[in-house]
Amino acid sequence: MSANPAAQTSRAPSAAFILKKSLISALVALVLFSLMIGVRTEAGPDGQLTYWTRFGDLAVMVAAVFGGSILIELFRQWWGPVDTARVVPAPVQNALAFGGRLVAPVLLVFTFLVPVLFYNERYILDLAILVLTYVMLGWGLNVVVGLAGLLDLGYVAFYAVGAYSYALLATNFGLSFWICLPLAGILAAFWGVLLGFPVLRLRGDYLAIVTLAFGEIIRLVLINWQSLTGGPNGVTGIPRPTLFGIPLTPADDGLAAMLGIEFSPTHRIVFLFYIILALALLTNWVTIRLRRLPIGRAWEALREDEVACRALGINTTTTKLTAFATGAMFGGLAGAFFATRQGFISPESFTFHESALVLAIVVLGGMGSQLGVALAALAMIGGFELFRGLDQYRMLVFGMAMVLLMIWRPRGLIGHRAPTVFLQRKEAISSDLVKEGHG
Amino acid sequence: MSASPATPLLAIRSLRAAYGKIEALKGVDIDINAGEIVALIGANGAGKSTLMMTIFGRPRARSGHIEFDGQDITGVPTHDIARLRIAQSPEGRRIFPRMSVAENLQMGADATDSGESDRANSLERVFALFPRLKERMTQRGGTLSGGEQQMLAIGRALMSRPRLLMLDEPSLGLAPLIARQIFDAIRTLNRQDGLTVLIVEQNANHALKLAHRGYVMVNGLITLSGTGNELLQRPEIRAAYLEGGRRE
Repeated sequence: MSANPAAQTSRAPSAAFILKKSLISALVALVLFSLMIGVRTEAGPDGQLTYWTRFGDLAVMVAAVFGGSILIELFRQWWGPVDTARVVPAPVQNALAFGGRLVAPVLLVFTFLVPVLFYNERYILDLAILVLTYVMLGWGLNVVVGLAGLLDLGYVAFYAVGAYSYALLATNFGLSFWICLPLAGILAAFWGVLLGFPVLRLRGDYLAIVTLAFGEIIRLVLINWQSLTGGPNGVTGIPRPTLFGIPLTPADDGLAAMLGIEFSPTHRIVFLFYIILALALLTNWVTIRLRRLPIGRAWEALREDEVACRALGINTTTTKLTAFATGAMFGGLAGAFFATRQGFISPESFTFHESALVLAIVVLGGMGSQLGVALAALAMIGGFELFRGLDQYRMLVFGMAMVLLMIWRPRGLIGHRAPTVFLQRKEAISSDLVKEGHG
Repeated sequence: MSASPATPLLAIRSLRAAYGKIEALKGVDIDINAGEIVALIGANGAGKSTLMMTIFGRPRARSGHIEFDGQDITGVPTHDIARLRIAQSPEGRRIFPRMSVAENLQMGADATDSGESDRANSLERVFALFPRLKERMTQRGGTLSGGEQQMLAIGRALMSRPRLLMLDEPSLGLAPLIARQIFDAIRTLNRQDGLTVLIVEQNANHALKLAHRGYVMVNGLITLSGTGNELLQRPEIRAAYLEGGRRE
């Protein structure tokens, strides 16, 4: 028995330890909140500063932190060290794995049915289009960030290039959406290569800064090149897409009149929904195909070790440029769709905020995971709308959710990557084999 | 076996290379004949790894020539050098930690892949040499032990069916028993397939026993050369590299 107490204390912290830890947390909370909550300032009637103290609120907050950290410590003690095998029994794990395989097909079928299920709910249809746009942007950025490991903070630049390509080509030359769509993709890819060249030798933080600057340059050019882009006023009157040349309008040559059905503005929304769904699925399909080709494998290898790639005869220049171009192309396609959906674009839609949002989707979803990115886009965009009722606390809830997610799933919602080379048969990889090694 | 043919497979003539102002290679001459194992030994910072990297064009040679199979490759881009089927297992192994063992091996074949059957043959050969890798096919590279990672690095290099295999410090950080397995595998490759090998090592004893010929490098210059056994007998080699500089 004499040897046991040491082992026990190391396993279960004593009451004194918990108390000490909670006191420290409470002290930190006191320091932090004393000004934030303890003192309230406001402009008085004559513009002078009035303030009053709220020690009661402050005491409540500090007590909450103190009590909360005791609870968390007790919970940790009860839970014991993190061990998936013990926490989740094997049958449950198997059931989860089986359920996990069903998520993607079920989600896909559901997405196809969204316009049918919510035909009369314009709000949901609009939201679904928005979510799908971000799913597509996420999948596009995933090629650059998730697969090739090139941190791109200026992805919105390609979104903008695509949107303005379509808007300007359509309004100036009267080209149709379906001709402009590939053009927008090609132009965005071209700009991707243009960004790629100067940053070939950069990695990590340095690359991130240059891409950030690139995004800003594009936005500033859009604002200041008034004669071409209309500057801050943007481009208006961007034509809507047509179905093989048939417009979706109440006019006599419109689709509704041709089919002999009553016109409804929802037709166009549903049409837009299926366009973005098709574009997003195209992005997904191309990415999945590319991952299994040598070029996709080279992207991933590049993320892991550039020197080793060169030693294996991989042309790192073309590999990086194709990653930038492919990602940019999907961004451009999404941008063209954005322009035709909105009918109006201005530089305000292409701020750094958008880049950050898309990057957050990719990181939260799990770098390189297609399903993860889709789920993250749903959670980010859909969740954002869901918390609209919370008003000014929306951002707070959202930030908290992101922090918690990153603590529990530091590799994103779906952190594992599917292998791309199979020899004889597909083998399920046990989760304890795929964790990162440190040896 | 090392009966030297008319032209060596790899011929390096008065090669100089530098990092900025610091000259790492000061005029190196080396011949590697087809079917030979050549060891390059020397202390830390002698320029051994730089020589291997310079053959691959990084850093570029300042002057001098590198000829592979009669072709001047001094200015050829790095990725094209690998396509001439010169493979290397770089220092520190540098496997792809998040990719599976199978994908790591496939990466070795991608640049030079000429067909499915070639790939299958190469794979068979690698598995025959390192059965451990076959067991660990679906595992991530980063989860392998140090010795297995070294096997993977060599296996990956072999996937391109190289004519010249260059190994940089294959025994670095490995337990002696594992290091011996690696050296045995290299010997097997050379005996069975006649593979030409350039091995850069600090573990002079092992490397010289394995090699047909050896070069000793000091401060960017080749100071000694000879057959492996000759070098092993030289008192200055024994003192400098084998007995830790001890005087008894």
